[in-house]
Amino acid sequence: MSQAVMESDRNQAPVLDIDPYDTEVLRSPYAFQERLREAGPIALIPKYDVYAVGRYEECATVLKDHEAFTAKGGIGIQDIRQPGDFRVPNRMLENDPPGHTEIRSVLNRYLSPIAIRKMKEKFEERAAVLADELVEKGEVDGVADIAETYILDVFPDAVGIDLPRPNILAIGEMRFNQSGPQNELYEQAMQKAQPYLDWFEHSCQREGVRPESIAHALFEAEDRGEFPEAGLASNMTRSLVGGGADSTMAGVGHSLCKLAENPGQYDLIHADPKKAGLAFEEALRLEPSFHVSYRTTYGEVELSGVKLRPDTKVGVYFGAANRDPRKFENPDDFIIERRSAGTHLGFGIGAHICIGQMIARAEAAAILGALARRVKRIELAGEPVYKPINQMRMLQNLPLRLVAA
Amino acid sequence: MPKVTLINPDDSRIDLDVEVGDSIMRAATAAGIEGIVGDCGGGMSCATCHVVVLDDAYLAKTPEMSLTEDQMLDFTAMEREPNSRLSCQLVMSEEMDGMVVRVADPQL
Ligand code: HEM
Repeated sequence: MSQAVMESDRNQAPVLDIDPYDTEVLRSPYAFQERLREAGPIALIPKYDVYAVGRYEECATVLKDHEAFTAKGGIGIQDIRQPGDFRVPNRMLENDPPGHTEIRSVLNRYLSPIAIRKMKEKFEERAAVLADELVEKGEVDGVADIAETYILDVFPDAVGIDLPRPNILAIGEMRFNQSGPQNELYEQAMQKAQPYLDWFEHSCQREGVRPESIAHALFEAEDRGEFPEAGLASNMTRSLVGGGADSTMAGVGHSLCKLAENPGQYDLIHADPKKAGLAFEEALRLEPSFHVSYRTTYGEVELSGVKLRPDTKVGVYFGAANRDPRKFENPDDFIIERRSAGTHLGFGIGAHICIGQMIARAEAAAILGALARRVKRIELAGEPVYKPINQMRMLQNLPLRLVAA
Repeated sequence: MPKVTLINPDDSRIDLDVEVGDSIMRAATAAGIEGIVGDCGGGMSCATCHVVVLDDAYLAKTPEMSLTEDQMLDFTAMEREPNSRLSCQLVMSEEMDGMVVRVADPQL
């Protein structure tokens, strides 16, 4: 970058010379998050020539003000409107109101609290079966044996699509690295996903959709002409699979990890398993499943007095916002009684606020509640290991010992 | 501080102080009022903070209903009534002081 550009930016947004996608940052993002928050209300990341926000207030503004910060440039670091981008855009998420609203209103009908209440019973039944097996085993991996096994047991039925574990894990890793820069993680994930690309291409079509599922309802809605454009049932099903599998597995993993690290907090849910949902929410505050999501400046706009360049990406760092001391007292502490639902940005905010949040909460509360009823103590049986993924925060291994009640 | 009165499903009444700018849902869950669940924390995603505003004159003083709230009210566990609102969207103002709402039953 030329010296002139650097100088002018220094008068505007402070320059933060750090790579948010560095493997070490992805493994432990806290120092980066703090530097970002303290650099100013918004910073410029010279390596990628993009902006970054990490304070709660500015993160919320960027997500809410869709006129100044459009989602049409895509939620990854690349501008999907540029020629040569090959990713299939998400026609709801990578869109702004009013077009976005039209599509989301249709989905709302099939993801409504009524639809989700019907799923709950099944979630709880399956959680009870798995929890019995887990207690029997005693030593388990919180990621593979609990988060992945449980979510991949219940979510395919809810959404209506078969999600074989190796396929969905490889595709998820590909997609959430693809939304970052073309670094080594990106290249490796693309390689690993090769054998599953064909499966991914053909999944989320009408054929093979499970009955009484969300996807089934969406294809029926399409037949009745409820969607404003053709092809949306399939595109939206893909969006639900993409948005709802990895994110929830990550969230369940983080919850187990925080509960194992904070036995006093685990005691609270063991004493009252109805509080399991509070633990999930607080874990999501501390370790939101998504590291970052982008918007793009629409023309020359201002944020907290800082003048921004037009058509430039702005990364919203959820984890930084969720630990912002301007917003949360003792931000690094895991305190389930904070009742953090609705106060943190783990599910986003504004027009695109997670449409699947009640499904995620119902799944997490079911499995964590089932464990809380059967297990007196959850202990770490080894070091938790994080998995570096450009757009995500996710555990790779979480060795646990479950002590039966 | 302005007050609202909540009428519980068992007809008991609770007077609740709600700070201006705070929602009735937040104040009610913080006070441990069981009938207001508010699972999603105010994201208009769970429809479990359903209340019915008793007096039309007070309803006119509440914040305007958004399209999302209107849609979510079609998915509440207790069937929607003409004066139904999600209490997470009832952000308190001085004007609303003295408002009475009935807590919907059931919420889940
Ligand atoms: C712990 C689990 C989850 C987390 C942390 C999460 C997080 C998020 C976030 C942060 C956003 C907003 C992104 C942005 O504004 O750029 C979002 C949107 C979305 N999520 Fe989730 N999500 C979760 C579970 C789910 C589930 C289970 C589903 C599907 C059933 C889902 C489907 C979606 C969809 C379709 C959107 C786009 C909404 C729109 O554009 O209006 N998510 N999610």
